[in-house]
Amino acid sequence: MLLPSRMAVLNHMFDKDEVDVKSVMAALKDDYGNEKQFNEKMYLDHLMALEANGLAEMSSYDLNENGDLVMKYKITDDGKSTVEKYVDKRYRVA
Amino acid sequence: MNSGKSIMNTSAVSADTQMKAVGKKFQVTGISNGLVSGLTYGIYSTLVVVASGYNPLVSAAGILAAPFVASGLNDLFAGIWLLFYNAKQGRLRELGRTLKTKPGKMLVIGFLLGGPIANGAYLVGLALAGAYAIPISATCSLFGALFAWIFLKQRPTKRVVLGMLMCVAGAIVINFVKPQGAPNFTLGIICALIAAVAWGLEGVFSSFGGAMIDTDVAVNLRELISGLFALLIVVPLIGGGIKLLGGTLSAPSPMLWLAIAGMSAAISFVSWYKANSMVGCAVGMSLNVTYAFWGVLFSVLFLGQAFTPTIVIGSIVIVLGAIVVTMNPLDLFRKGDA
Repeated sequence: MLLPSRMAVLNHMFDKDEVDVKSVMAALKDDYGNEKQFNEKMYLDHLMALEANGLAEMSSYDLNENGDLVMKYKITDDGKSTVEKYVDKRYRVA
Repeated sequence: MNSGKSIMNTSAVSADTQMKAVGKKFQVTGISNGLVSGLTYGIYSTLVVVASGYNPLVSAAGILAAPFVASGLNDLFAGIWLLFYNAKQGRLRELGRTLKTKPGKMLVIGFLLGGPIANGAYLVGLALAGAYAIPISATCSLFGALFAWIFLKQRPTKRVVLGMLMCVAGAIVINFVKPQGAPNFTLGIICALIAAVAWGLEGVFSSFGGAMIDTDVAVNLRELISGLFALLIVVPLIGGGIKLLGGTLSAPSPMLWLAIAGMSAAISFVSWYKANSMVGCAVGMSLNVTYAFWGVLFSVLFLGQAFTPTIVIGSIVIVLGAIVVTMNPLDLFRKGDA
């Protein structure tokens, strides 16, 4: 069985320097891509909620070529230790 | 000739502007969610009392059967409303996935404390002590901070201790003058305190990786588990419980009120957790705790609760104390400047 998606997002961020909502979704597409909840609004919610809980932080933001705001996030030390403690080893990326 | 530069400037400025707009929108949405959660929890607290005023709940024997039937049905209704909501969002599958994880299992232990135990005790408290039980239950942030200190080694600051003392002082004020004609008043207050303790403990169990769980999913599980546990396990253990449950299920008036109460509770929890994840747990809890105001206000307006100075002063002190426990009130102004 797959991880709950918010947990999967943090788990994916474990060994990444920086992610944005598009890169997260590209990485998780194979597993979660066919679900109705697989949309940018929901995944941005995941990133922002992880940020609000101190497990991730916003590392930078900028506009892309279309003039849309892109927010980049990275995992915090708290986030890393939470993954190490509570995410089952077989799901871990590193 | 300097068009290149000016384009760069505009884009940089508008990234900042957009970011500020996003941040501001986030803050406003978070605070409104917190306020909605307090208001709807006040509505829920009032409607459950309304539902309990109908037969067969009102004439049930003993002090336990009616509150547990009412809270079990209310939670089950809330859980069913939330199933519709999560189905619409396309994340029903998340429920099973969450239960399989360690943080999910820890949350379930917390749900059993916060659901059947705390909710049941809260409603017994409401039944015995009327609206007085509402502000007393709001001392749960005191217990949350206390348990975080004991179990999670999070030392409280002077501010938190001050807030705790305010909560206790408010509770004492409320109990200063007992209302007329409530023979089990003190027992009701004790039940409300049990609820506050269990809610405080529930928070501890969410600290084992619970922040990785989607709160809309967690709330859905909480209401379903709490409702099913109360109805299938607790109610059958109470004398006359099953008979009362059967009687209530076939009575349209209380069922209708419980369904609306369940919807208020569902909205309250979803918006509360949303607020917590947008403006932080401290501000979220402080806004949620305004339910004590609303609950007392609605009880005075619609349920004929007597309006006494002790209940007004006591509730205000407890709400202020709960706010001081969870946040530094000065931060609200500082954030406004930033």
